[in-house]
Amino acid sequence: MSQTEDKYDDHHDGRSDATPGGYANERRPGELIFTLFLVIVSAILLLEAYGISGLKKLSSPGVIPMATTGVMLVTGLIILFQTVRLPKVATETIAKDILPIVVIVFVAILAGFSFLLKPLGFVPSAFMFLVFSIKFLSRRNWAYVLGLSLLTLVGIWLIFRVVFSVLMPAGVFPEAELIQFFRTLFAGAE
Amino acid sequence: MENFLNFFTVLTDPYLFLMVGVGTFAGVYIGAIPGLSVTMAVSILISFTFSWEVHPAIALMIGIYMGGVYGGSRTAILLNIPGAPSAIATAMDGYPMALKGKAGEAIGVTTVMSFLGGFIGIFVLAVAAPFISDFALKFQPRDYMFLAVLGILLVGSLSTGSLIKGIFAGALGLAIGSVGMDPLTFTPRLTFDLTFMKSGISFIAVMIGMFGVSEALLQLHQVGLPSIRQKIDRIIPSFGTVKKHLGLSMQTSTIGVIIGALPGTGGDIAALMAYDHAKRVTKNPEVPFGEGAIEGLVAPETANNAAVGGAFIPMMTLGIPGDAVTAIMIGALFIHGLNPGPMLMIEKPDMFWFIVGALVVANFFMLLFGLTGIKFFTKVVEMPRSVLIPLILLLSIVGSYAVNNSISDVYWMLGFGVFGYFMRHYGYPLGPVILGVILSRLLDDNWRRAIISEKEDLGRFFVGVFSSPLSTILLAAVILIFVSQTPLWAKMKSRLSSAKNRSHS
Repeated sequence: MSQTEDKYDDHHDGRSDATPGGYANERRPGELIFTLFLVIVSAILLLEAYGISGLKKLSSPGVIPMATTGVMLVTGLIILFQTVRLPKVATETIAKDILPIVVIVFVAILAGFSFLLKPLGFVPSAFMFLVFSIKFLSRRNWAYVLGLSLLTLVGIWLIFRVVFSVLMPAGVFPEAELIQFFRTLFAGAE
Repeated sequence: MENFLNFFTVLTDPYLFLMVGVGTFAGVYIGAIPGLSVTMAVSILISFTFSWEVHPAIALMIGIYMGGVYGGSRTAILLNIPGAPSAIATAMDGYPMALKGKAGEAIGVTTVMSFLGGFIGIFVLAVAAPFISDFALKFQPRDYMFLAVLGILLVGSLSTGSLIKGIFAGALGLAIGSVGMDPLTFTPRLTFDLTFMKSGISFIAVMIGMFGVSEALLQLHQVGLPSIRQKIDRIIPSFGTVKKHLGLSMQTSTIGVIIGALPGTGGDIAALMAYDHAKRVTKNPEVPFGEGAIEGLVAPETANNAAVGGAFIPMMTLGIPGDAVTAIMIGALFIHGLNPGPMLMIEKPDMFWFIVGALVVANFFMLLFGLTGIKFFTKVVEMPRSVLIPLILLLSIVGSYAVNNSISDVYWMLGFGVFGYFMRHYGYPLGPVILGVILSRLLDDNWRRAIISEKEDLGRFFVGVFSSPLSTILLAAVILIFVSQTPLWAKMKSRLSSAKNRSHS
């Protein structure tokens, strides 16, 4: 397996559960902080789980949450001790291999998109999202980016409204009026 | 017998037939395009089809599942990039074959072998599931509990990663699944007294985040990956080639069905194990493994498609998913008011035979689409990632919003997406998380049922366990997985293998 991994997977990014990312004998940049974060979260969750019903009865609603968060804390601590002892990967940095700028930018764009989704409505916010992200990734000229974004958006909107009948927030975009306009248009033609 | 007639539902209803066809076609491409995975597609799709009738929704998902498991092999062969996790092993010999100008032959063999493996998986499902579900009626609540734990542990123990990280991931999933109001006593659990936590965390948000967003964020690392074109000649393999590898394909299909049927583990692990098996049993390959051996294609491709049928066995009979995709399908059945498990097979056997029928149809469609349309295919796969990634992200947001029309689901989805992204980087498997979320309720209910029936007495509980052979075996299996990870086991193993080597020499 290692031979294919070397060929295409030099980032050890854990594409599949059969070959998870990370390294067995080395610590990736930021891994220690992440593990510490997991341990702290587990401890907080365990405390919260204890608060559900305490330790009164084996069948009380808090037992399974306490057991699972307890397992999280114990395994988290074991992983922490294992990770601390590992040597750091010499060739990797956080900025290059774990959290490059492009990922941070995308998470920010996504957060902005979901924040604007409700007040602005699906069509304008999704269009803005597509334009920003395609421009940012492809670095092509604006005509290409705007055209492609519009095409993609129309495609998605049609599929969701017609095939899946999914309702997205309308916001400021006169979606219903537009559909009604086409309905009357087609009704008029018949 | 009259239930068996539902096997033909898909064949007699043109709409359903079409849905399976569309699904399989889409699946082949979803599997093939690096960055789109079946798990991702099915988890996004579930939120779009929940207003549909259950039959077309399942038909579409089955098509995507069958096609997607196969589709990954195409890009593995042509570009050395496995389009889907289940095709990781396929790249090892497929790409060297393509480099030698035998891409067409490689695709042909892969397609026929996937078809063969797919059938074996479906056949075993059709024959074994009714028996298992009869047997499953005798399962005690504690047996379900052990099975759920076993499923969560298996992913971590059969993969190349760390079991302890797998256990953490599974426990995390179980904890996520228990957030919200407890269904039995109506006590708030893990809500931190926040109102928006009371309704729990939507498992669809978790799934889309973990498999959609985190995957897309990972793909950002490789936006500028160049694509390579291969010459493709004859596709349909000669009968001789197929016949020659029939023996091996039967063995690897068996591996596929078994790994698929084990709770939690699916096609990706089956393919890797089958590849290792082929390497061991093929004494004199015409071409060495890793340099374009046909055996190296036959093994993973039969196994991963056989695992599809296998994965449905525990899902349909016990309500315990065989892999991540069937975990999502259990979610889909729940949404449609069906409760997978032994009672489903008794109350709605038509559903079972419908699924078997849909799988068979999907398998034929896969063969059809696999042997045709290669030219068109190479065009689609070259779709630039700078468009693909925004598209996946957009679909993820629409999908997570659409289920409950709630913006907080979108935030959960994004949060789990970012979290899953780090999990992948640091070697935590994501399958156990999803399995945990899906099985949380089952584990919780069955634990409480088991312990209440033993009058809250742990001693009596264990007496019960050891007086039943099934419970004892299941508990032993769980313990064995733990022991197999301790230094003691490694010592025993090395001593055993050195003894073996000595006796050989």
